[in-house]
Amino acid sequence: MSAMIADMQRAVVPATNKAIAPSRGGRPWTFYALSSLFALYVLALYGPMICIYILSFQDIRGGLVFPMKGHSLHWFVDLFTQVRTGDVKGSFDRSIKLAVIVTIITVVISFLAGLGFRRRFTGDAVVFYMMIGSLVAPGLVLGLGTGLLFQALGLNASWYTSALGAQLSWTLPFGVLVMFAVMSRYNRAWDEAAYDLGASRWQTIWLVIVPVLAPGIVAVALFGFTLSYDEFARSLQTAGSLNTLPLEIWSMTLNVTSPSLYALGTVTTIISFIVIGVSLGTIVLIQKKRGGQAKG
Amino acid sequence: MAIERGDIELAGLCKSFDGVTNVVDGVNLKIADGAYCCFIGPSGCGKTTILRMIAGHEDPTAGEIVIDGQNVVGLAPAQRRTAMMFQAYALFPHLTARENIAFALRVRGMSKADRLRAADAMIEKVRLTSFADRLPAQLSGGQQQRVALARAAITEPRVLLLDEPLSALDEQLRVQMRQELRRMQQQLGITFIHVTHTQLEAIALADLVVVMEQGRIKQAGPARDVYAHPHDRYVAEFMGGQNVLSGRVEKVNGASFVMTQAAPDGIEVPFQARAKICVGDTVDIAVRRDDVTLVRPGQTLPVGCSTSLPSRVLAIEYQGYFVKVMLDAVPDHEFVAYVPEKTFFADPLNVGDVVLATWATDRARPLA
Amino acid sequence: MQSSQIAPRANLAGWLYVSPLVLVLVPFFVAPILVVLAASFFATDGFGGLTPGFTLSNYIEVLHSALTLKLYIATVKFTVLTWIFTLIIGFFVAYFLVFHVRNQLLAIGLFLLCTVPFWTSNIIRMISWIPLLGKEGLINQALLATGAIHQPLEVLLFSDLAVVIAYVHQLTIFMIVPIFNSMARIDKKLIEAAVDAGASRFDIMRLIVVPMSKSGIALGTIFVVSIVMGDFFVVKVMSGGGSASVVSAFYEDVGVLQYPTAAASAVLLTLVLIAIVSLILRTVDIRQEIAR
Repeated sequence: MSAMIADMQRAVVPATNKAIAPSRGGRPWTFYALSSLFALYVLALYGPMICIYILSFQDIRGGLVFPMKGHSLHWFVDLFTQVRTGDVKGSFDRSIKLAVIVTIITVVISFLAGLGFRRRFTGDAVVFYMMIGSLVAPGLVLGLGTGLLFQALGLNASWYTSALGAQLSWTLPFGVLVMFAVMSRYNRAWDEAAYDLGASRWQTIWLVIVPVLAPGIVAVALFGFTLSYDEFARSLQTAGSLNTLPLEIWSMTLNVTSPSLYALGTVTTIISFIVIGVSLGTIVLIQKKRGGQAKG
Repeated sequence: MAIERGDIELAGLCKSFDGVTNVVDGVNLKIADGAYCCFIGPSGCGKTTILRMIAGHEDPTAGEIVIDGQNVVGLAPAQRRTAMMFQAYALFPHLTARENIAFALRVRGMSKADRLRAADAMIEKVRLTSFADRLPAQLSGGQQQRVALARAAITEPRVLLLDEPLSALDEQLRVQMRQELRRMQQQLGITFIHVTHTQLEAIALADLVVVMEQGRIKQAGPARDVYAHPHDRYVAEFMGGQNVLSGRVEKVNGASFVMTQAAPDGIEVPFQARAKICVGDTVDIAVRRDDVTLVRPGQTLPVGCSTSLPSRVLAIEYQGYFVKVMLDAVPDHEFVAYVPEKTFFADPLNVGDVVLATWATDRARPLA
Repeated sequence: MQSSQIAPRANLAGWLYVSPLVLVLVPFFVAPILVVLAASFFATDGFGGLTPGFTLSNYIEVLHSALTLKLYIATVKFTVLTWIFTLIIGFFVAYFLVFHVRNQLLAIGLFLLCTVPFWTSNIIRMISWIPLLGKEGLINQALLATGAIHQPLEVLLFSDLAVVIAYVHQLTIFMIVPIFNSMARIDKKLIEAAVDAGASRFDIMRLIVVPMSKSGIALGTIFVVSIVMGDFFVVKVMSGGGSASVVSAFYEDVGVLQYPTAAASAVLLTLVLIAIVSLILRTVDIRQEIAR
């Protein structure tokens, strides 16, 4: 650190009136520049989606672009009642069920893996890189490989077997990475104290580790659910004959003709927002109950 | 119900983490039941490792730990009937004070009503009744310490181990909580083993002070012995309060010898007959800092003083009821006199003054 | 600590905990990759059947094809452009959140605000460009209304520009999160010491923040590069079929049941990705960064 300071002292032209002065009330010009950038970014982030939401409330005369024609719930009704090539309700059901299963499995496995990685063990690097590899590999390639594998083994690909596994290969690395971040804030002394007081390994996990890490576990569940619910590339070749919702949407986008697709977008986003809201709400509630503990 | 005793014997205790150096190197010690024992030493001397081995959180590489006649090596902490109070307390952040204290009973399967009742009784003992429902984050340092103590004590251990329990507290609180610890120990009537690096804390609390250096015990004994009669230079310097002088023996006259080098005129030091001192030996002697009297050159030495070291005052520190005067009497070594406040201010010294440092002859002791 | 010094008991415990993870990753990551690798050496009957054997003809075909080079160039072009923009935007958004937002709760709230779209469907976000960028979209309408242009801009949608816009929109968050994480870990006292020494804000950014965010930037780069290079549907949809990427060609091959050539192409891409990711990992110890 002293080297860095020395570097700076050599490089700096005295300009003390431009230095960060956290105690002073005024804001430097860069604050305004950066906050504008930030505002623009958020606008750009939400903008396109908001257009869709607005347009999904058009009435029967509605088209795909602005200006908006009337307002009604016509296209939502159309979405769920029209018999069309495709099965929105069915795929929606499947996606939710699959997401719940993936969430539960991801939470349990990520938690255990997080515990395992607290200490070094022989071959831990292999497992770590396997995980990173699974994260980084192109979903489509893995999908093909899994599909071929099932074919070779004579098994049928379906949404609750091969797609489940393929989605797990995507959610687990995220879950484990979140657990890493959460575990690093965990104080090993609590384990020792529990052991000292006579707790068994299992009791320590259940009575101490899990409650303390609860917000992190909720975060892993959040990742698990939303990543599964929106997963596309890996599910494409492993879902078998029955589609998940993203696959269904995909086939619908290939012939976008009416705002019912926008309505679908609105509905699926509402689901996601509900899940996010519940998870974040749970985390905030847990933190509040802990009262005054530093945010994790 | 048999009365459990918490006397401890460490026999040949060794610990090495890397197979090369011994962090604990052949420690032998007997601690009486119900004693308050303090381990003291610099960082890395092995005191915490010994504590953790007694607690069961580390396994010794060699040696035995015998509690009440039973070798406990290999047993889990709960099986040994010991309990530990951790540095920084390690209170479970998600449980209230009451729940923290009841934890040990919970893992033993006690019913909720019973264990909370027992916890409340414990909370009474540490006088935290109105804080029972608070979370650790809402408690002050001193309160957290009491919760940690209660949490450990509720299992009715025969030995309580404390890992630097006071180091997380500020100065004033530290002194207050010292008495709390002593009170609890006497109330519970069990052996306490307390690790610290603060000398004054150790001598204030302990029945038995154990001074350690690099994995070995340098001296173990009652506080007064260790402080006033250190066996060697290390203990003398570590415990503070002593000046250590080195020199060569010039003459031996019966019950005393004369040593030069520190003072060209020689210092006369009485010694025990059984200590073998011969002319030509190099010896260390110790003189307590509060035994050193400072006189101006030309003034007569007090009665009983035969030695005087001319020295210059290097620094003066006011310490309340005494004044710490640092002198250059011994080259490259500290030589300090604690002058009573009234005496000092009757004739104040200044930095740079030349004085004679002297002491009653029989107040100097040779070190082993 | 050498692994030979780890007690066997600790090893066993470690493996017990990670075994479920391994049990999932082996059949659903390691095995499929191996299957694809194997398939790249097989021949096909043209109808999706694979005859096991060993032939390098697939690789020769892929490597000699002029199309392959074109695809890689296109993909790399998209990757580099996306990386540049996501890095710049991501860095400054993270910088803003960490150093300019004073209230920590607000900073985390704004951070979450940025991540929320990530939790919604990719595909929906893609079709949402139509009402915005299309010929009759909002942007064109606005520009026409103000008279800045006289003909609707066709280049905004179904073009290479649209592809990059879509990528940047989707992937900036992958830059923000790790960089935010790295920046938040910088000890504020370092900054104070620099201010004491007379450094300007720009110097602080240049000499402290950027070097200390390197691992976050590296992690974000890995995400962005691997996602763009592995993508097939963004490029297909947003370019209206005008452009292709390596994986979209792969998708097409699979569509016509040309598994072996597809597999060979996939193996090639994987090797390229591994090379890039290893290079990036050399600049920073990710494991230590994550597990710290």
